[in-house]
Order: sequence, then structure tokens, then C-alpha cells
Amino acid sequence: MKRKRNRKAGWVCALMALLMLMAACSQPGAGGGSSGGSSGGSSGESSGGPSGSSGGEAPGTGGSAIGFIFVGTKDDYGYNQAAYIGSEAVEKAFPDLKVLRAENVPETAEAERVLEQMIKDGAKILFPTSYGHLDPALNVAARHPDAVFFHQGGLKTAENLGTYFGTIWEPVYLAGIAAGKMSKTGKLGYIVSVPIPQVLLNINAFTLGARSVNPDATTTVVFTGSWCDPGQQANAANSLIDGGADVLTQHQDCTKTIIETAERRGVMSVGYHADASSLASLGWIVGSVWNWPDLFVDMAKTAVEGNFKGSKYDGKFRGGLADNVVRLTGFGENVPEDVRTLVEQKKEELLSGRLHPFAGPVRDQSGAVRIEEGVIPTVEELESTDYLVEGVIGNIPQ
Amino acid sequence: MIADILTGALRSGTSVMLASQGELISERAGVINLGTEGCMLAGALGGFATTVWTGNPWLGALAGGLCGMLLSLIHACLVLDRGANQLASGLTLMFFGIGVTAFLGRSFVSEQIVGFNPAPIPVLSDIPVLGEVLFNHDPLTYLSMLLVPALWFVLFRTRIGIILRAAGEREEVLFACGVNPRLVRYAAVLAGGFLAGIGGAQLSVAYTHSWVENMTAGRGVVAVAMVIFAAWRPFRAMLGAYLFGAAQALQLTVQQQGLPISPYFLFMAPYVLTLAALLIVERRKRSSVPEGLSRVFAADADG
Amino acid sequence: MKTEADLLPLSPQAARAVGRLRPARKIGRQIFVFLAPFVLYGLFLLYNGVNPWELYVSMVRSAFGDWFGFGETLIKATPILLTGLAAALPARAGLINVGGEGQLAIGALLATMAAVWLLDAVPAAAGIPLMLFAGALGGALWAGVTALLKVAGRMNETIASLLLNYVAVFLVGYFVHGPLKDPHSFNWPFSPEIARQLRLPVFDGTRLHIGFLLAIAFAVLVWLVLAKTGTGFRIRVLGGNRIAAERAGIRVSLIYAGVLLAAGALAGIAGMIEIAGIEGRLRPTTGATYGYLGFLAAWMAWNHPLRLLLTSFLLGMIAVAGNELEIGSGLPSSSVHMLMALVLFFLMGGARGRKA
Repeated sequence: MKRKRNRKAGWVCALMALLMLMAACSQPGAGGGSSGGSSGGSSGESSGGPSGSSGGEAPGTGGSAIGFIFVGTKDDYGYNQAAYIGSEAVEKAFPDLKVLRAENVPETAEAERVLEQMIKDGAKILFPTSYGHLDPALNVAARHPDAVFFHQGGLKTAENLGTYFGTIWEPVYLAGIAAGKMSKTGKLGYIVSVPIPQVLLNINAFTLGARSVNPDATTTVVFTGSWCDPGQQANAANSLIDGGADVLTQHQDCTKTIIETAERRGVMSVGYHADASSLASLGWIVGSVWNWPDLFVDMAKTAVEGNFKGSKYDGKFRGGLADNVVRLTGFGENVPEDVRTLVEQKKEELLSGRLHPFAGPVRDQSGAVRIEEGVIPTVEELESTDYLVEGVIGNIPQ
Repeated sequence: MIADILTGALRSGTSVMLASQGELISERAGVINLGTEGCMLAGALGGFATTVWTGNPWLGALAGGLCGMLLSLIHACLVLDRGANQLASGLTLMFFGIGVTAFLGRSFVSEQIVGFNPAPIPVLSDIPVLGEVLFNHDPLTYLSMLLVPALWFVLFRTRIGIILRAAGEREEVLFACGVNPRLVRYAAVLAGGFLAGIGGAQLSVAYTHSWVENMTAGRGVVAVAMVIFAAWRPFRAMLGAYLFGAAQALQLTVQQQGLPISPYFLFMAPYVLTLAALLIVERRKRSSVPEGLSRVFAADADG
Repeated sequence: MKTEADLLPLSPQAARAVGRLRPARKIGRQIFVFLAPFVLYGLFLLYNGVNPWELYVSMVRSAFGDWFGFGETLIKATPILLTGLAAALPARAGLINVGGEGQLAIGALLATMAAVWLLDAVPAAAGIPLMLFAGALGGALWAGVTALLKVAGRMNETIASLLLNYVAVFLVGYFVHGPLKDPHSFNWPFSPEIARQLRLPVFDGTRLHIGFLLAIAFAVLVWLVLAKTGTGFRIRVLGGNRIAAERAGIRVSLIYAGVLLAAGALAGIAGMIEIAGIEGRLRPTTGATYGYLGFLAAWMAWNHPLRLLLTSFLLGMIAVAGNELEIGSGLPSSSVHMLMALVLFFLMGGARGRKA
């Protein structure tokens, strides 16, 4: 028995030794041999600790790559896929720059290592695309003042870190109007993941939209606790339908299962993240989607040309319906003309600024006024929503 | 509402139930497979992909079973031929299953299939409450209900069952009968993988009509827990799986009442209830642990 | 627990022949076990249009090429080592603790609570040890549930600890979405940041903190206890043969409870180190998968605390190099799982001997 243990320890040691050897061999001047983006020069410069502001050069310039990190995978028919499509547009627009991608990057300090690795591999422009990547990105940004970071959805910024997002609650509000009109029972079902502000904001926008055309409508919220668990999504959809809901919508990372389940059980659905009208020819009403490609390319271009400082992306950039950063999809076949006309008309009012979904008074579930009469909330106020509006059935941790 | 919860119990419990029946066979022969999660994923992807290619969900279910079986073959080889630690091998199989299916399954995520649909059984489904709860499901769910008594019969009333149980308890008996216990265990592990694969296929082809990476989300782990909860008895494993499903349905129903309970406490409910049930059962039972298994649980200590 | 040679009746000549063959076969097998997964994976990479050699070189360089990368490997290995100890210690008493995941999470939770609610203005000299204690307490409490179920409820500890992992994650979710939410984080589910002085000191030019020295110290401590003390002897006797242990008058329940609590404390310390060393605040997914990786590391080390130093380092290295695998090859993140599993499979297949 003893002998066998030694054998084991022996090979582990051998493995270590070989790996050390490989590392040692590859160090001096062997940089060219490594794959694509990791050019020897840049890794030498920036490895370990702050690389100091390289005299006068604008941050974001001089890199050989652009890095994207995602919290999920590209094929999830949702949030990450939308961002992935944006990264593909960047890849196309900058053929000289390599696009580095990392999926399933957890929203912890893990993200710091991945960002550091990308910088070592030559990236000077980085897109951390999930809210939880903000703090890690801020830490890395402080260590690398020569790189530019574009964070998706954050409310904190730095010298070389700007945030961007889309006011998706605009189309969600319009979708709510359509749902309120289409529902016969007045019971709308909203399947969501976890109670974060983005999620609560969408539930509120949807409910306000529905109740603007049907004051008796209610939205029942079900939390699944995960971003993409089709089994749990199907459970939630079935449970809501059993409870009388006849329109389902969701804020999940993958959206296909809920729409298909709704279709099979003969209820209507409102999409989110991606246009899924092909999945529900009968029940599809309308959906809200992201349109990142043009924005991503423009942000990357600004940074590559050294114009990040002082640009509109140096801070908190929010694109809306008017900027075509968020969109409303086409209507389903069974949506009657009067509903389409009404939604289009409301959309015009939104675009012209005559209508704001969250113009006060807005009351929360307990009836307390959260936004005073005549007040229009700021981006910060909206994106840190911590309550559900009147007409929502469901409970969030306080 | 009670009917809704019970229906929900069957809907979300069936995949766990199938996997736990498979794991039960394997454990009766003395091999625990923590990689059931991986086998379920393989089944879910294999079943889904085959349904995409052939358009036939029955072929999909079969292929799902075979994929689960293929993965469990790795476990069987490592454990039975190479003497690897069962728990470590199973855990690794779980990681492997997650990785391989995520990689191979990328192009299937946005595919649409015509999978199994609920097929109400005439007459029976008209019975109030009971009809809705029991007789308005997809064909795989019906089959899984028939599987349980069949498995019970085989285990406790046939020669095959005696051989299987002997492999897990007294392998000397098998040597005496001229049966090779290793072959019996191989067969049991593969059968377990097959059923876990069908369980996964039930999730992807029958229940959700979708494939995404890691879609079983811990159901395989729960299935293994259910077998121990069930004291290695098929009917109890069924009960346990449905109990788990019911807890999931119940927490969703409670959420819709808008009661001031944090959803996070409700998410815990299925696991806490399982633990509670386990505690009640376990206090009474101990003798039924297959002897081969109790050795597994002790074998990790350094000898 | 017999080797092949003990079982096979060999003639003396044959035995000598086997004896001569052994060294060559042994080395051959080691090389095979080590190379096979990388060769196999290389074929997979080639099939996907990636040059395996270039990728392997850049992976190794990412983990060893400079102090930052090496520091990352040690950072990653630290919690794996501690959760590995949390699996190894009970294993020596014959218990299987797969609950490192949950014990780490609750340890991190309690450490954060202590740091945020109690220790905000306490200087480092007192604050860090107190936070460490809170982490250990949290892990021990969570393992205590398993211990209670095991000792009083006669429940199988493997399943109990496994199911409790899920409960722990939701419990952390409850706190970061509720009572422990940072009021200045725009309602995102994080705890407030812990005070500056409570962060573990960091080595220059890296993110490496002194937590890894702490982890190594605990590994040595566990080894000392197991190998050199009477308690350690009793633990090993119990792990070897429970019935013999009972006959010898060893109080089985006491040892079971003791090793589980100690294991939980170790995993809880891993959680505290993650918070004080790396994260600075608690997030819903802090420390995820470390518990399972630790279990695998413990198994690879035959539950020996000192060998665990090697195996946890190895797993940490694969995890760090895995980032480069994904970024450098353009393959999805799932391919890292596959490489890790392949290495482990061959390890298991190659390490023949123990019949489980």
C-alpha cells in the first residue's frame, strides 16, 4: 500500500516538474510561438501590477485585442446572446484587432483574473457585460490606467471606466400596454430570476403599462432563483397558467422554454431579450430586445481613436428607443389592429418625450407614493429600484 | 389548488424519479453513481438532438437512454475494472458530463422540436381531481409510473432480482452460483445510466422541449439522495421524487399568494423538506443498506 | 485492501520476473497517465482548429510565467486546500463530507456579518483574528447540522451534507438580497465592503494574500494532529474499523461530531479568506465550486494533508490555465471542464490498487 502512495506522489511531482520546465522554456523570447493575441511585448509591459500611465498616450489605444466577458453562454437566446452578437459586430468592424471572449465568468473576483489575462494577451479595450462584473472591473481599471473599460449596466464609473446600458423599460412598458389590452382574465404572469433592480424595474414598467389601459390588471411575479433552468421555468409557467394567468412574460437569460410552454398551453406570451415570435405563432404578442452592435462598434471606435476621455461614453451612457439601442419587436399574428395602433401611438409619445412611464405619482405595493406627482425619476433612481408597484402580486426580500 | 400542486409534483418530479429508479438498481448491486447528474445531461442532450434529427421523440428517448448508458460505462470501467473510488469517479463524471454536453450541445440551444405532449387518457382523465393529477401527462410519465411496480417485481420476485441484490450484499453467494458479480454490477450501472438518461430526455424532450447547458441543475444529485431516502425501495423512491416535485410546485404556488415570505426561504423548501423526510425515515431504518454500499461509504478512510 | 501480488499465487520465479518488470512498468504507467489526457485533449483541440502545443505553452505561462500568474495559482489553490482538508479529515474517521461548498458559503457569510456589523472600527490585529473566528464558527455551525443529523438522526452524512449545500447557497442569497445588502450599492445584491484594515495583507505586484500561508499552516496542523496525537490515532482507528474502535472503547459519536465540526471550521476559514483576501464583500456566488474541487483534491491526495498541498496546487493551476485556454483558443468555457475531467479520469484509471 505504501508503495502505491509513493507512486502517486511521484507522478504528481513529475507533472509539476514538467510544467515548470515548459514554463521556463517558453519564457525567453518564445512569445511569438504562443497563439494569436498574446504578443510578447505587451505581456512584458503590463504583467504584474500597475503599468503606469504610458506618457501622454490616450487610454484604450495601442492594443492588439478587445476583450469581452460574459456571465453566461452565447447561445442562451437572451441577455448574453445579445451581447455576443454585439461582440461579433466589433470583430467585423476591426479586422486588425483580435476579439477575446470568456463565457460563464462568475460575478466574483474571478472576473478580475480573466480581465487581467485579457490585458496580458494584448487587450486595451474591455467589455465586462454583466452587473456583477463592475467591482472587479473597477479594481482592474485602477491597475491599468492605459486600458478602457465599458461596463454594461453599472452606476459607478472611473477615470478609464464608463458604463452603458439601454432603457429597456421603455419597450417593456409598451409591451405591458399590449398585454393589458390582450389579456382576458386581467392576470399577467412574470417569471423572473432574482430580485435585482433591473428585474424589478422591468416588472414595474410592464405593470404600469398594463394598468394604464386596464386598471384592474395584476401582474403575478414568480422568482425561480436561477437565470436559466428550463425545468424550473416550465414549472413556473405551468403554475402561473394553473393560477389563471393568460399572458406570460419573463426576465430570464434563456427565454425559449417559457414561450413554448405558454404556446402549448394556449396562453399568450410577451418576449424579452430576443425576438421569439417564431416560437409562438398563435400566442406571441410583442417583445423587447437589445440592439448592441452599432453601439458597441461606436464605443470601440471612440476608444481606439483615443477619444474616450470626454466622450459621451466617459460616464454613464444610456441609450433608449430613440437611439435604437433597445427595440420593440413586431406584433404577433393574432394581435388586432386597434392594439397595434394604440402601442404605436404610445411609442410616438415616448419618443417625443410627452410620455414617461415612471412620471409620478407611482405607488408601491403598500400604496405608499414612491415617486411624487410631477416628478420624473433619474437614471440612478430607476436603476436602483427596490420596490414593486401597485398591482404586482409577489414578494421581494427587504 | 391541491390538485395543481399534485399535478406539478408529477410534472417536475418525473425526471428525478426516473433517474432515482436507475440509481436504485445500481446501488442495489453495490455501486453508487454520483455522476447521475452527468448521465441525465447526456440523456437530455442525446434525446433532444435525436429528436431534432429524426423528428421522432420515441427515438429521442431511446437515444437519451443510450447516451446516459454510455457515460455510466466510464464510471463502471473506472470503478469495477480499475478500482477507483466510487464517489470521486462519480463526482468527476458529473463535471465531465456538464462539460461535454455543454460543448456538444451549443448548436442545439435554439433548435425547436416537436416532442412529447400531454396525452390525456380517455375516460380516466375525466375523473375529477384524480384524472387531472394522474392521467393528463406525456407518455414518458405514464411509462415511468409503470416502471416502478415492474422494477419492484423484478427486484423482489425474480431470480434476476436475487442475483442483483446478492451482488450488492453477499457476493460469495454469486460465486457459489457460478455468476460473475462484476458482470452483474456492470449491467446494473449501465441500467442505471440508461434510466438516468431517459430521465434527462424526459426533461428535455417531454417537459421543456428545450436544451440548454447544465439544464438538470442538480436534479441528478437529488435523485441520488432520493435513493437513500427511499431505503433502496422503488415505491419509496417514487414517493420521494414526487415529494421533491411537490415541494417545488408548492413554493411556486406560495409565491403567487404574495405572502411576505422571502423567495429565498421558499427556494430552500424542497431541500429542507427532503432532509426532514430523510430524517424521519432514517431514524427507523438502517438494516436495508446494501452491504456492498456500506463498504463504499467506509472505504474512503485511509487504510 | 490487498495488492495484486498478495492475491495472485505466483511461483518464486514468476514473482522475481514481475519484480524486475515493475520499475519500467511503473514509470511507463506514470508517463502514460500524465500524458494521455493531454494528448487526447490535443486531438480534440486539433479537431477544433486550435494548435495544442501553442495553447499548452501559453496556458502554462499564464499560470507560471510571471509572479502575477503564479500568485493567481496560489490564490486559487488556497480555498481548494482548505475545503480539501474539510473532506480529508472526516474521511480519515470514515466519514464522507461533501458539504465543503455549503460550509465555505456559511463561513463567508458569518465572517462578512462580523466584519460589517461588529468589526468595522476594530484594528487589524484584533479584527482579522475575530473575523477568522467568525468564519470558522459559521462553517462549524453548518457542519454541525450535518453532525447532528449523523449522530443524533443516524442520517447518512454524504447525502445530508450534499443537500445542505443547496440550502446554504439560498441562505446566502437571502442575506445579500436582504438584511446584509449594501445600502450604497444601488440595491444590487452585495454586502457592504469590509473595512480596509480587515483585508489580508497582499504581496506586491500580485493579488496574492497571506491567506495561503494560513492554509498551509492548517494543513500542517491537521497532519500533526492526525499523525502525532492520541486523538489522531483514535480517528484513524475509527476510520480503519468502526467495530474494532467501538470494542476499544473509543467514543464514536464524539469523534464523528468532532471531525465534522473541525472540517466545517476549516471550510469556513476558506470562506473568510475569500472575503478578507480577495473579494472584500459577500456576493451571492462567492466561493462557488471550491467545495467540490476540494473534495476531488482530497481524494487525489488519498486524504493525506501534506499531499493535499500538491493536489490542490495542481487543481488551482488547471483552473488558472483554463482561463487562458478559453481566451486563447476561442473555445467555450465548458472545454475547461472537459480537460479537468480527463486528467482526473486517467488519474483514477491509472492509480490502480484500492478496491472501493
